[in-house]
Amino acid sequence: MHSRYLLAILCMVSALGHATTLRITNDDGKPLSRVMVTQTLVNKVVVDLSDEGYAPEGVLTPADTTVTRFTNAAGIVRFEEPDSPVQYRVRSQGYVDQYIDDTGSAGDEEKETVDVTMTPMTAEQYIASYPSNVWLSQLKLGGDEDLKNSFELNCSFCHQQASPFMRNERTVDQWLAVFERMNSYGARLPNDEHQQLAALLQKEYRELRENPEVVPLPRPWENHLSGIEMKEWIIGDGFSQMHDFLIHPNGFVYVGDNLFDRVYEINPETGHYTVYKVPHTDEQQPGGILGNRFVTFPKMHNYLGVHSFAVSPKDGNIFITPSMQQALLEFNPKTKKFTTYEMPSGFYPHTIRVDSRDRVWFTLALSSQVAMFDRTTEEFTVIDLPARSVTEWLILKSLPLIFSFDPENRPQPSPSRESIGLPMPYGIDVAPDGGIWVARLYANDLAHIDPDTFEVTMVDFPYEGPRRLRVDADGMVWIVAFQDSLLVKYNPNDDAFTAYELPVINEIPYALNIDKQRGVVWVNGNQSDTILSFDIASEAWKVYPMPRQRFFTRDIEISEEDGAIYTTNSHFPTWQTEGGVPSLLRITPLPERASQD
Amino acid sequence: MPVKYTLLTLAALAAVGAAHADTGWRYYGGDQGGRHYSTAALIDRENVAELDIAWLHRSGDVAHYGDDMTNTSTQATPILLPAAAGESLVYCTPFNRVIALDPGNGEQRWDFDPGIDRRGDRTFRCRGVSYAEEARTAKGAHCRHRLFLATHDRKLWAIDAGDGKVCDSFGRGGMVELYGGEGYIPGDISTSSAPTVANGLVVVGSGVIDFARATTPRGTVMAFDTYSGKPVWQFDPLQGHPKSGSANVWAPMSVDEQNGLIFLPTSAPSPDYYGVDRPGDDLYANSIVALDLDTGAVRWHFQHVRHDLWDYDTPAQPILFLWEKGGQSIPALAQVTKQSFVFVLNRLTGESLWEITEHPAPPSDIPGERTALTQPKPIAPPPLVDSFLMPANAWGLTPWDKAQCRKQIAALNNLGLFTPISEQLSLMYPGSLGGANWGGGALVADSGLLLVNINNTAFTGQLIPTGTGSATAGRTDHPESGKRMQVTMEGTPYNVEIGALTSPLGIPCNAPPWGKLVAVDLYKGTVEWETALGSVHEMGPVSAPFHIDWGTPNLGGGIATAGGLFFIGATMDRQIRAFDVDSGETLWKYTLANDATATPMTYVYKGRQYVVINAGGHYMFQRGFGDYLYAFALPE
Repeated sequence: MHSRYLLAILCMVSALGHATTLRITNDDGKPLSRVMVTQTLVNKVVVDLSDEGYAPEGVLTPADTTVTRFTNAAGIVRFEEPDSPVQYRVRSQGYVDQYIDDTGSAGDEEKETVDVTMTPMTAEQYIASYPSNVWLSQLKLGGDEDLKNSFELNCSFCHQQASPFMRNERTVDQWLAVFERMNSYGARLPNDEHQQLAALLQKEYRELRENPEVVPLPRPWENHLSGIEMKEWIIGDGFSQMHDFLIHPNGFVYVGDNLFDRVYEINPETGHYTVYKVPHTDEQQPGGILGNRFVTFPKMHNYLGVHSFAVSPKDGNIFITPSMQQALLEFNPKTKKFTTYEMPSGFYPHTIRVDSRDRVWFTLALSSQVAMFDRTTEEFTVIDLPARSVTEWLILKSLPLIFSFDPENRPQPSPSRESIGLPMPYGIDVAPDGGIWVARLYANDLAHIDPDTFEVTMVDFPYEGPRRLRVDADGMVWIVAFQDSLLVKYNPNDDAFTAYELPVINEIPYALNIDKQRGVVWVNGNQSDTILSFDIASEAWKVYPMPRQRFFTRDIEISEEDGAIYTTNSHFPTWQTEGGVPSLLRITPLPERASQD
Repeated sequence: MPVKYTLLTLAALAAVGAAHADTGWRYYGGDQGGRHYSTAALIDRENVAELDIAWLHRSGDVAHYGDDMTNTSTQATPILLPAAAGESLVYCTPFNRVIALDPGNGEQRWDFDPGIDRRGDRTFRCRGVSYAEEARTAKGAHCRHRLFLATHDRKLWAIDAGDGKVCDSFGRGGMVELYGGEGYIPGDISTSSAPTVANGLVVVGSGVIDFARATTPRGTVMAFDTYSGKPVWQFDPLQGHPKSGSANVWAPMSVDEQNGLIFLPTSAPSPDYYGVDRPGDDLYANSIVALDLDTGAVRWHFQHVRHDLWDYDTPAQPILFLWEKGGQSIPALAQVTKQSFVFVLNRLTGESLWEITEHPAPPSDIPGERTALTQPKPIAPPPLVDSFLMPANAWGLTPWDKAQCRKQIAALNNLGLFTPISEQLSLMYPGSLGGANWGGGALVADSGLLLVNINNTAFTGQLIPTGTGSATAGRTDHPESGKRMQVTMEGTPYNVEIGALTSPLGIPCNAPPWGKLVAVDLYKGTVEWETALGSVHEMGPVSAPFHIDWGTPNLGGGIATAGGLFFIGATMDRQIRAFDVDSGETLWKYTLANDATATPMTYVYKGRQYVVINAGGHYMFQRGFGDYLYAFALPE
């Protein structure tokens, strides 16, 4: 046997020797399965936060870590017990959370099983614990489906809509102030909808509070959960926004803090991270060329806007879209140096991928273009996607003129439902044949780009809100329909769309990824505190509840080796999430034996 | 006389009789549950415009106490004694003189001067006295009807309601000392609110100087036998924390005699702005604590601020009422807070009747300070102050002072509500003045409509390492108008400096209204209306000849009546106003001699309804002092 495997087994045996078992029952003593148990160290790590409240650049820093597992049919769950005291939060749908302090029982056989009896919630407590999506499902906005579409499109890409923070009673004036603030942050809620929407939100949230029995039950947690482990690494603080990220072949995970121009390099083996700050020039202003949209946000430091990540198959360098600049970033994970490539045109670099020929492709969301960066020549090719009308063409062509004005003096068109606007190419992916697929969020269409001729072919998308997309091993294009709450498959061979209802109601899916090795599509949840998996072969869903409430995810990465998936809690504002801090989350299938224990 | 007119007359007479029976004001807060409501309806929306002075009484304090008046705050709400007790109108002056008046003409019947120890620098104030009929004293005997007074110098007095003479059966010579063997320490601790009397007990809280040092007196609440003055029970609201103190109960308490509960609004632990030496949530500070009335045992508690670093005392009397929802009537308690929330609790269990959202709170950058991760916030009613203030929200009278405010706000440590104070100047919004304050709220009959006056002026504050600050650090508890205060926090590494966030012109940097009146539907959890409260026309270097209704900071409360009216002074414009409870429209106002930083009261006496308010000014407002008690009535 290879020595490293022997070492691993020894470690496992050692760890099993210091395991804690929790046995969860209800009031009647019956075992409760599917109970979520989260282990947290009682003593938080003490770290240097001297850089605006964050870890200084280049300093190896430990992250607070939590581990979450679920009970099996016998109500049993086991944890490895670290050296220092831990606390367990025990959570089950319909039961009051229990907090169990374990000050250390290693070596004491009698005490290694902790019995926990769960107390049912009152009806009011249970209703209050429901995730956003079930509340949102009953928000009808006067039966105006177009208004609800507009509301969800413009208001749901940052945060949960029907969390307690949003269904909080507000006066109409308070709602109007919220809309104004949100539009200043980048939402495009049409001005002529504000008054009507404010009145409806006040009225209907109040009606839901008074008649909560109309709110459907959340989807019950499922038995498969005892076969997984969730691990969270806390990074940043309540004002960060952990946007996209990347699993790197070097074993690290790179996460971008979109509001603080920082890249977190996290070692999932040790739980330590190092921060690298994206440099900006003296001339660059907060908010970059877009202008500072966050003048009313309490804490922010973004000159570039770290958005989307892709890795070069050639040398492992990481390419990052700085959404607030006309540029592309390259990060060398060996030297830890950033290189900035200025672009000659195009606005709002968005989602990014690298093809097998080491060419970097990314969408330009504002100018309705796709850029290709050729690493050998360091030149950009910018491909126009077709405008849908002469007016749209004129607007797109006038963008350089508009952006020639200072942000403060730049003409700002008032948003209306018709002029929300611009088509906004959003998700992008590279097919196995090298073809490039793009989804245009506001235009409800897909674009295919020939990787050699750059010829563009448009495909109408018959649903609302194609946000991000991925191509599977067979060349099928999988798209999430944001407002329509659907997973959609597009078969380019026969030009056929197949829509799959999500297993949770009124989810507003942001992104997805595909475990090509296992044939599983993973879909981000953001309203239901879940992540969803869809087995392509069986067309069966599995639902994974998140370890904390108000968990908004917008990217998924897959560790093909072990089938683990990673996501970030990217709720904006992060402070609204349970615990108030963002995190990187990994969901790992447990070994067969562990899951059956 | 036709029969139908006879019937109408009889009905009217019956109604007057019923009204007379229910239209007194026997308790500081109108009733034991602090509803600030009267069934008196002789003054109503239709005739309130005719309201005028019925009589004016002056206590004589100005003539007697001279310069000491500049350290006073006139806050008393009179009570009307029942006929059996002499039917006098009784109140206390800031120096704890108790004065009984004829409620019809304001003529003085008697007074009682406890001769308080006036040493120390604490402000003189007295919010009221309490009445009880003592069943263990024979009918007709002296002190069968008693008044209780808790004084500035920590003494509890029992005096006869008929003649103001002390009750010999109570303590020693009618008095119980509220301090222990250490004796009275001027300036550290006093009493401002009326004692709470129920079920043969008189219960007393205290006001403690909670800024000045880390270890302050404990905020022990004490209950005494109303007949003998013997101690029955006591309760220390702060559990543990030997390096801290206070968590006292300075606001009025409420009583539910039927369920044997007394409700304590507890304040912050000391020192207000530095919590390193009192780690954890600091129970039962910043809470509503329900005690068994007979034993003082804790029945439940609800902590609305954990590990307070903002001086968010529970500032007002808990309001007891029946909460109607879905055909159910639940014995409830409404609590207004400085952070501008209204919590509605089941008063038998302490459970919130509205869902509580755990509002994540930012951490502190002060070494060793561990803030609470979350703070409770009710999902309804909405916060009564929008505490969101960013540079883009800066307000100014001119572009210049608006720009100055924008700069100031941009430089603040500002992470929203519950931003912990730091060595950097930090936003405190709402500040220690509230939001709501001791004026509390008034509940309109059984409608569930709560009217509450709100302050809406942002403060800033910072911790100043000792040895680096001004030598003028003092021991005041709130900044005076237009000034910044620096206060020592002995036993900590810091002094604290606090003041209003104003432009160089002295105008608040947040948009008006700077004081407002808000009508909250407690059943629906909604704000029904709000309106500016107060005019700033007297707040500039010269007075304007017309009202400018941008609202002013306000201290004191209001009362609602069955006449559909809400009466309130409280503002920095010497006004008493009457509002329509349904619309918020101002129906009447009157210019007083001084600011009326006291809660009014009303009663019907000999078929005439009176509205009475103290107008003596407040040291924080620095707008003059007086000793006026006004009574208003319709023309006879």
